Amino acid sequence: MSETGRPKIEVRGLGKSFRFGGSTIDAVDDVSFSIRRGEFVALLGPSGSGKSTVLNMIATLLEPSRGEMFIDGNRVIPHRATPDVGYVFQRDTLFPWRTVAENIGYGLELAGVPKAEREARVAECVAQAGLKGFETAYPSSLSGGMRQRAALMRAIVVRPQVLLMDEPFGALDTHTKIDMHDVLLKIWDREQQTVLFVTHDLGEALTLADRIILFSARPGRIKESFEVDLPRPRDAVKLPETPRYAELFSRIWHSLGEEFVKGRAA
Amino acid sequence: MKGHALGWQMLICVVLLVVWQWGYDLHEMAPDFVPDLLDPYFVSRPSDIMKQFLILSCLKSKMGLWNGWFDGQFGACMTKYENNLWMAMWVTLKTTFFGFLAGVSSGFVLGLALGRSAKLSAVFQPFITAVNSIPRIALAPLIVLAFGIGETSKIVTSWIVVVFLVFFNTFEGARSVDEGFINTARLLGASEWKITRTVIIPSTMTWLFASLTPAISFALIGVIVGEFIGAERGIGRLIIESEARGEAAGMMVAVIVLMIVGVVLSALIWRLQAYLLRWQAHYQRN
Ligand SMILES: Nc1ncnc2c1ncn2[C@@H]1O[C@H](COP(=O)(O)OP(=O)(O)OP(=O)(O)O)[C@@H](O)[C@H]1O
Ligand SMILES: [Mg+2]
Repeated sequence: MSETGRPKIEVRGLGKSFRFGGSTIDAVDDVSFSIRRGEFVALLGPSGSGKSTVLNMIATLLEPSRGEMFIDGNRVIPHRATPDVGYVFQRDTLFPWRTVAENIGYGLELAGVPKAEREARVAECVAQAGLKGFETAYPSSLSGGMRQRAALMRAIVVRPQVLLMDEPFGALDTHTKIDMHDVLLKIWDREQQTVLFVTHDLGEALTLADRIILFSARPGRIKESFEVDLPRPRDAVKLPETPRYAELFSRIWHSLGEEFVKGRAA
Repeated sequence: MKGHALGWQMLICVVLLVVWQWGYDLHEMAPDFVPDLLDPYFVSRPSDIMKQFLILSCLKSKMGLWNGWFDGQFGACMTKYENNLWMAMWVTLKTTFFGFLAGVSSGFVLGLALGRSAKLSAVFQPFITAVNSIPRIALAPLIVLAFGIGETSKIVTSWIVVVFLVFFNTFEGARSVDEGFINTARLLGASEWKITRTVIIPSTMTWLFASLTPAISFALIGVIVGEFIGAERGIGRLIIESEARGEAAGMMVAVIVLMIVGVVLSALIWRLQAYLLRWQAHYQRN
């Protein structure tokens, strides 16, 4: 079978219900999409629309109630992680007892990569993330942006083919966020991972993604899908000034606004 | 600022010692004005304590003459008085160390196992609560009865008081490990064993160390109480002997030695903690 013909990630009829107290909450309902190899897709939707739930199911952290998922045509089995899939959490999950270099090298350590190679690859990542000089610092002495860069590198260093990111820059200020977008886009340009990126920041989604999948308010369903045909390579600073960006922004903003109103009413 | 504090600390020590040494004399000179506190019969006084220290440590004879090192008088004294201060200290320290070690390691392992396994903790929870509600030091006579007056019974007594303390701390720590850390490790391909070693143990360390300083005092308490009940040697035994002879000075020597031992052991633990938990913000500042 041709490598390019098959989707990298495929999700069919995915659903998740949580039991909460006595009642059942449908967090995600009948979600289907597929993502090409090397595609950058953003999942956009209001808070509580089930974006994290979808991501966690693909990452094998959560068991779906309905439906099935495939990566490279192989069924995703709950609680059986593959190192091919990298994950970056919204919350800072750097290990506080490891230095920056030790955090970044953790995945390589688990994979049994020899020390010399490990150090070389970590050094490369440290340089890419602009963390030179902080290799031996502990996370408690880093800024939020630096921590998130280190966390991103910890996922990147093992060279995953798929990158799942759950609002990785949600807690950062606008300026730091744009910095991070540049770092991420450079890495993605070079390594061409397949990225599924959760966010509720439309600007961020437009800057980064090839395609935006818009989620409706609970229960999470796919409302609409938008191709982002902005030229690459993109400049995170200049891009928002282009007319095409503004056009896409207002179109999606309108659709998103409807969901926010619905979410508030529910 | 630090020198300033040290100055005050020295002054407080000097004042305390002076009052302790001469306070009672003042009372005898002017009984109407100075209250009848600090009776040397009960609390001794610094000069007597020093004298007693020199005798108990075989440095001086009971006549108040220095025991020579080269003429063998010191050696003879050490053999004659089996429970001299050095021997007592050695025995007490040794049993405290082993009791502490046994208590900390078994408490830590148990805490990790039960903290990470919902099944195990569900089964054992009631038993642990039950045993924990016994004031464990009350078991000391039973332990001495069972294990004899040798060192084993002291190690067991101190183990039993330490193990629960460490267990409960580790248990709480292991249960409260951030799920985000565990998920991160799992998604990077860590096995259960690797997760335990690289995530659960390091993040439980803070909780373990919080229990170590009290654990060292508990270990010492366990040993001393064990020695009160029945022992051939040890600081606790020294206290009992002095009490039988009505010698407050001897008891004070033992108490002061215990205080110094306690301070030194706590300082050691603090150093170890500052190294192992160096990633915590408050250790990085200095
Ligand atoms: N473990 C759980 N138990 C019960 N309900 C849950 C659980 N996890 C999520 N939910 C519910 O599922 C819904 C979707 O949650 P999810 O975290 O996926 O939303 P989200 O789109 O990621 O929101 P946000 O943008 O705020 O992160 C929410 O209504 C939430 O209350
Ligand atoms: Mg979320």
